[in-house]
Amino acid sequence: MSEQQDLFTAVANMWKGFRVTFRQMRKPRVTTQYPKEFREKPQRFHGRHVLNRYDDGMEKCIGCELCAGVCPAKCIYVRGADNPIDDPVSPGERYGYVYEINMLRCIFCALCVEACPTEAITMTHLFEMSTTNRQDAIYTKDELLVQPDGTPNHMFDEDHLADFGELAAADGWMRATSPQGRADFSGVPGWTPSAGVGLRPAEQGQSGTEPEGEDA
Amino acid sequence: MSWSEESLQRADDILARYPEKRSAVMPLLYVAMREDGYLTDDGMRQVAELTGVTPAQVQSTASFYNMYKREPVGKYLVSMCTSISCFLMGADDVLHAIEDEAGIPAGEADDEIGVEHAECIGACGGAPACLVNYELIEGLTPDKAKELVAWLRSAKPDVINADEMQALFGGKTSFDWGIREERGAVGPFPAFGPFGTADVNTDALEPGRST
Amino acid sequence: MVTITIDGTEVQVPAGELLIKAAEDSGTYIPRFCWHRRMNPVGMCRMCLVEVEGPRGIMLTPSCTMPVNDGMVVHTKSPTVEKAQEGVLEFLLLNHPLDCPVCDKGGECPLQDQTLSHGPGESRMVEEKRHYEKPIPISDLVLLDRERCILCARCVRFSEEISGDPLIEFMDRGNAAEVNTFPDEPFASYFSGNTVQICPVGALTASAYRFRARPWDLREVASVNPLTTTGDGVTVQASQNEVLRFLGVDNDATNHGWLDDRSRFGFEWIASPDRLATPLAKSGDGHTEVSWGEALGAAAENLSAVIEAHGPGAVAAIGGARGTNEDAYALASFMRSSVGSPNLDARLDDGLGTHLLSSLAGKGEIGDLETARTVLVWAADLKEEHPVLYLRVRRAAQELGATLITVHPTATGLADRATHTVTYRPGEGHDLLDRLRAGSGDLADVRAALDEGPVVAIVGRTGLAEDPALAEAVTAFARDLPQASVLPVVRRANTYGAIDMGVAPDLLPGRVAAGGDAGHTGWEKADTSVGLDTRGILEAAADGRVKALLLVGADPLRDVPDADLAARALDAVDVVISIDCFLTDSTAKADIVLPALGFTEKEGTVTNLEGRVMKVNRIVSGPGQARADWSIIDDLAARMGRPLGFESAEAISLAIAEHAPAYGGITWFLLDWKERDGVVAPRDGVEQPLQYIPTTSLRAVGSGGAKRGGFALHLGRLLYDDAVLTRQGASIADLAPGAYAVLNPTDADRIGANGHVEVDGHRLPLRRDASLAEGTVAVPFNQPDGPPLGGSSHVDVAPGAGA
Repeated sequence: MSEQQDLFTAVANMWKGFRVTFRQMRKPRVTTQYPKEFREKPQRFHGRHVLNRYDDGMEKCIGCELCAGVCPAKCIYVRGADNPIDDPVSPGERYGYVYEINMLRCIFCALCVEACPTEAITMTHLFEMSTTNRQDAIYTKDELLVQPDGTPNHMFDEDHLADFGELAAADGWMRATSPQGRADFSGVPGWTPSAGVGLRPAEQGQSGTEPEGEDA
Repeated sequence: MSWSEESLQRADDILARYPEKRSAVMPLLYVAMREDGYLTDDGMRQVAELTGVTPAQVQSTASFYNMYKREPVGKYLVSMCTSISCFLMGADDVLHAIEDEAGIPAGEADDEIGVEHAECIGACGGAPACLVNYELIEGLTPDKAKELVAWLRSAKPDVINADEMQALFGGKTSFDWGIREERGAVGPFPAFGPFGTADVNTDALEPGRST
Repeated sequence: MVTITIDGTEVQVPAGELLIKAAEDSGTYIPRFCWHRRMNPVGMCRMCLVEVEGPRGIMLTPSCTMPVNDGMVVHTKSPTVEKAQEGVLEFLLLNHPLDCPVCDKGGECPLQDQTLSHGPGESRMVEEKRHYEKPIPISDLVLLDRERCILCARCVRFSEEISGDPLIEFMDRGNAAEVNTFPDEPFASYFSGNTVQICPVGALTASAYRFRARPWDLREVASVNPLTTTGDGVTVQASQNEVLRFLGVDNDATNHGWLDDRSRFGFEWIASPDRLATPLAKSGDGHTEVSWGEALGAAAENLSAVIEAHGPGAVAAIGGARGTNEDAYALASFMRSSVGSPNLDARLDDGLGTHLLSSLAGKGEIGDLETARTVLVWAADLKEEHPVLYLRVRRAAQELGATLITVHPTATGLADRATHTVTYRPGEGHDLLDRLRAGSGDLADVRAALDEGPVVAIVGRTGLAEDPALAEAVTAFARDLPQASVLPVVRRANTYGAIDMGVAPDLLPGRVAAGGDAGHTGWEKADTSVGLDTRGILEAAADGRVKALLLVGADPLRDVPDADLAARALDAVDVVISIDCFLTDSTAKADIVLPALGFTEKEGTVTNLEGRVMKVNRIVSGPGQARADWSIIDDLAARMGRPLGFESAEAISLAIAEHAPAYGGITWFLLDWKERDGVVAPRDGVEQPLQYIPTTSLRAVGSGGAKRGGFALHLGRLLYDDAVLTRQGASIADLAPGAYAVLNPTDADRIGANGHVEVDGHRLPLRRDASLAEGTVAVPFNQPDGPPLGGSSHVDVAPGAGA
């Protein structure tokens, strides 16, 4: 093997090694200046939970504990109680009297969202949940329940890290499957915090047909 | 104990006929109905007391059968058949005519008249047919039905007689070879009973009989 | 036995058995809603349809109404059957609301489960479902949701066939059919809670458990009902360290799965805020919280001082029936060995002779009612005092056709099923027994019925004012009846176990008569003589002969019939030490109060009225610093310098198995793993050490004084009374009816009473009952604001002012 050949091989190998680098140099940068800038998160991002309300301000949670039952990390604690007849908290007989999520244990699998029969618990794009003690990591109903206008509460009021603007797009999906277990659920009235009650177009691949409109 | 002496006597007679007291629940319910005009809670309690079952069991039996009336049904109960033969022959129109004339929707009653749907009353040949206090009229038309109601309101007959009503308001009949019943039902509804009907003195009622 | 083929497998099943039961017992589960093992088949839900090959071809048949025949060929999983099941479920779900998430049954619901396993995957129902007002309370304890009802008739049949108070029934028919009660006639059954348990949907729910938890966050443990002496199997379910629910377990030997409402809903005292959590010492009029060391030290010092000054006989103990056998054994060891006093009694002057209770154990069993031809009940009203035994007797009379004879001062809860209802005036029981023995006069029929065996005789005191000797005499009579089994009944929960463990003045542990050798007990030194019973202790205390009183879960002021005597005794003694869960009237007078653990907070064994030893288990921790009775007593003994050396409840159970002759070989291991339904002591091969001699040391009520009044007093208990565990249960506390007086209408008219009467000066509302013997006044014992009447067998009755 000659020196020329060696040199050629070396340059070729070097070129191979730098190929990725050079290719990436031509592409736009993805690093953002967090926390000054926020990156747009995928629509199905599993962020912090919220407990939603109906349009009339009633709580959606009925205290059924299905979320607690399905939770693989056993981080949800729920207790139901009888709705006061003169001042009901939620529609129906029962409401969530205690609702706590231990965010230290939560693995953000969203099985609670899947299990919820009333779409009371959903996940947002909020992800900044650092606390200075363990007790604060247990989110109670005060933090989880959204304001009557749909704005989520945050653990710390003055938290400048929360990107509330992103929440509008945070509830584009509810379930990986349709309410009846079928992939085809377009045309089934659904509910989302931002869109309210209405028809929700199917997501791609869920119904076997192309989505008719853009994602909510 | 709110029953009259006569009713209590009647109840005793009925109870004596059965080896098990609870077997007498159904005939006693007729006595209770005759006592109050319809089945009241007190009446059912009384039957329960007499037969040694619970009021709930009495109500269970009473509510199973249509002809135990648990609401007031007025003096004259018009039961319009709406089963298939009568329905095909226009029973709906006749019922509406009755409702309009009486001013009462089916299933309700005022002091004088009660109107109800009835399932087949066995007069398909003479459809549409209805019963007034369980006395039959066949071949009704909406107009005739209105006349019938108006007649009940104005004449207030003490005795309801099928033949008489048939002659006045009826049309086509199923059969004409049936045994002619002269006497008819007696008094305010529920006037009939499975027990004691034959004791009624028809002569005494004769003057009140309207034609 | 016949041979049938189920899904291609040949199995041997008993001839004539219902197909659904035969299939289940041989391993094939056929889905069902209406059929229940303990009730007659009705064939209402059609869920159990199977294909049966018959002479007319293969036909769909409801297996719950089909008896097996030899050679029957059954298909339970064929396509036709599956289609039928899907169809039935679709029909059942037509009007069933899908509010499973808020339904108390959701997660343990047979309809849910079977829809998942056998139902159609999808609903075709798009129409609006039926709506009713929901939930409606049909009693203080039960809520009804008619929308959820699938009309299986389980509750209706239970109330008619099992409990005999059909207050819930089908109303209307067809599409409008519903289950309901009569207007203003609540489902006030003592057994209504059972319908909640057997309801296959969430139509009947318990108000005590409403929205308290979901099935998946409950932990559960098998145990035994702590409030009755029948030894009913229960499952205790708890969540977050709080007991939330009792469910009946089908124990073939005792309760058949049923519980009375007081037992089912009477667990709420466990989490009562009034539970004692720290030791208390008397200071002034009240108590102050002290440490265990201070409390036990003071108790030991006080007891030692009394023993030194007055001898060990001046110390006495009352109670012990509320705890386990291990607690009772520790108490007996403490009193007889550490203290050296024979004065201890688990009965509160309301029981029967200890020899009667102990020696007959194992001779008769509750299960004998299944084969009895004749049942004699000469005891307290079973419906009020022994509700589950009442159900078994009712079943014998109603379903199995036994001749039922009740002897009581009044008609009892069994009156509607009794062939012979004999009533007598309290005090004339011995005469009645003589006449019954002779079969004279109108008792000839009764006597003839008693000669048809097998006979089961349930014997006890009909009321607290009755002479205990009568029960002994009745027992002696009943034992000689053909193929007789005798069940002596007393009410207080673990009285049988406590007496068997030697918490009795005339018994040593393991059913050995006191007064003899104590060699078997393993105690180094002990007083094994015959001591004082509860009345004797109280009288001695009032006289100043007993100086120190140890109350173990006992409230003499409320529980002893003669409340006056109890009050004098408690005032006279120098030292009262109480081991209790609550600050009761008596405990409030104690110098030192030691907080005890209750049921579901400790492990141990209990003994039921037939001598069956059963295991109770722990599921929650006790309040605060409360400790188990045995451990308190062990510590107390050690501080008095006479240690017992008990290390754990299980160690005590091994000591019992070794040192209590009748309990030989009965260990926790045996009860936990082999004999889950309990073992009747003595076990096979172990000799019963105590021979029954019909005699009693108990004296009749009022025997000391002259007859005070003209009316004989019948002092019976009701299911709901003012006992501390009932009072502390939120759901059942308000169910006690309060005190009243019952007179025969003839008597009432004779004295001119109307509305109210004065019984010994206590004004009580009057009730009339023609079945009550003339010359008798019946007053329920220990009702809220009730009068203290237990000191006499006769009372004065006068018309009350202001009728």
